[in-house]
Amino acid sequence: MHPVVRWFHQLGSPPYFERFAARWAPIAYIAGLLVMAYGLYGALFVVPADYQQGDSFRILYIHVPSAWMSMAAFALMALYAAIALIWRIKLCEILAMACAPVGAAFTLITLATGSIWGKPMWGTWWDWDPRLTTELILLFLYLGVIGLYNAIDDRRNASRAAGLLAIVGVALLPVIHYSVTWWNSLHQGQTIRLFGQSHMDPSMLPPLWAMVIGTHLWFVGSLLARARADNLRRESGKDWVAKLAEPRA
Amino acid sequence: MIWSAAKALMIRDLRLLWRRRGDALQPALFALLVVVLFALALGGEAQALAKVAAAVLWLAVLLAGLLALDTLFRGDADDGSLEQWLLAPVPLSWLVLVRTFMHWATTALPLLVATPFLAELLHLPHDQLPVLLASLALGTPLLSLLGAVVAALTVGMRRSGILIALLALPLYVPILVFGAGSVAAAAQGLDPVGALLLLGAGLVLALVLAPLAAAAAIRIALD
Amino acid sequence: MSYQNYVIAAYCVFAAVMLWDFIAPRLQVRQQLRAARLRATRVGKNRPNEFPLSRE
Repeated sequence: MHPVVRWFHQLGSPPYFERFAARWAPIAYIAGLLVMAYGLYGALFVVPADYQQGDSFRILYIHVPSAWMSMAAFALMALYAAIALIWRIKLCEILAMACAPVGAAFTLITLATGSIWGKPMWGTWWDWDPRLTTELILLFLYLGVIGLYNAIDDRRNASRAAGLLAIVGVALLPVIHYSVTWWNSLHQGQTIRLFGQSHMDPSMLPPLWAMVIGTHLWFVGSLLARARADNLRRESGKDWVAKLAEPRA
Repeated sequence: MIWSAAKALMIRDLRLLWRRRGDALQPALFALLVVVLFALALGGEAQALAKVAAAVLWLAVLLAGLLALDTLFRGDADDGSLEQWLLAPVPLSWLVLVRTFMHWATTALPLLVATPFLAELLHLPHDQLPVLLASLALGTPLLSLLGAVVAALTVGMRRSGILIALLALPLYVPILVFGAGSVAAAAQGLDPVGALLLLGAGLVLALVLAPLAAAAAIRIALD
Repeated sequence: MSYQNYVIAAYCVFAAVMLWDFIAPRLQVRQQLRAARLRATRVGKNRPNEFPLSRE
């Protein structure tokens, strides 16, 4: 069997995943922290102040990566959920549900930092503009998935029901992304592109990409840590968990 | 087979509804109460009410539909009929679609009929009424279909009351925005057709996809 | 206008939420392992198997 295929199958074994996650979560966390530290240092001390927005634009280096992360996490959650529903892979159920709290956290950061940035820029803490409103709905969808997952007792049925909700909700993501194009929005239009020319000055971009990569690495760490906890919970009656929990002699 | 199953289900639902005729009026009464509450909270002055009338009416219909959502599958889940649905020779999504249509016809349609009367209570300008009715005619089936998915997800649960509302409302927001927004646009002299067409498109999409999602959810819940 | 307070507030929100995101799963894992340990002592899994399976 091809080594990658074998590794993939091995991950589906709960004890193997426990070892894998216990080992790789800290590595992902540390890598994420280091990259984010570089990005934050650049954002605060290296990048020149914006000619229009002054120093407040430094909030961008938190706000934009978090916004991208909030959408990426939801998309990944829906993908894991779809795989879990179609192929009934237990690990994918666990990973899908683990995405939800992290994604919700990033959505919260996006809304809060956006609000803090908006007060000096637009003069208001909040506006019912399409981008802000759809991001708020995204938070409610995350909370709905988490709530549904916690409301059903059987873990497998709970993750499949909540996963279905995530798949239904993923239709919101393009609406969020294109809301600034489709409507006259208070929020800024698309300035930074993944491919092609960005409209931001090149001197301001490296810390942004660092923050994007850093938050993604942190997300992986958090995903593995939460998946580990859920895995242990689901397998709690098994011998291997009892053995793992044994006090070291 | 498909049509005879649909007919049988519709006749059964109507018969069951007829036996509890009083319950059929409850959504309409709730909408009336919501209108009364809004009117009183806003001070009752005709000019102020007229400005928000369309939005309040949309909310009254939406909230009444939300409360009625629990009854969509609950009766059949309790007496075991839902499991018979799983075993039926017709697709589960078809049965879901028929049931949702009956639910809409018995809860939302009376609301649509009551809307002109409720509109008068809120002093809605008469030229906004046609657009309001059109947006509700397109929006309420859409709300029922999306609500069916949420109701199916929570059909097994006992204490699901607020959870259904929390899960359904994020999905309802775009419909509300376009529905109430179309009337607001018409009130400002802009063309409401765009928003109405988007609602129509959403309805067509939901007619196909929502029964499938709800059927999958029922299978998960009954597993 | 000094933006400093706003920038500090935003970065603090970021740090606080990330801190919570780090701590919460650690607490969960610790809780699960503790529950497993207690369950094992309750059931007495460290007893030797006195009655092995047999065909008679």
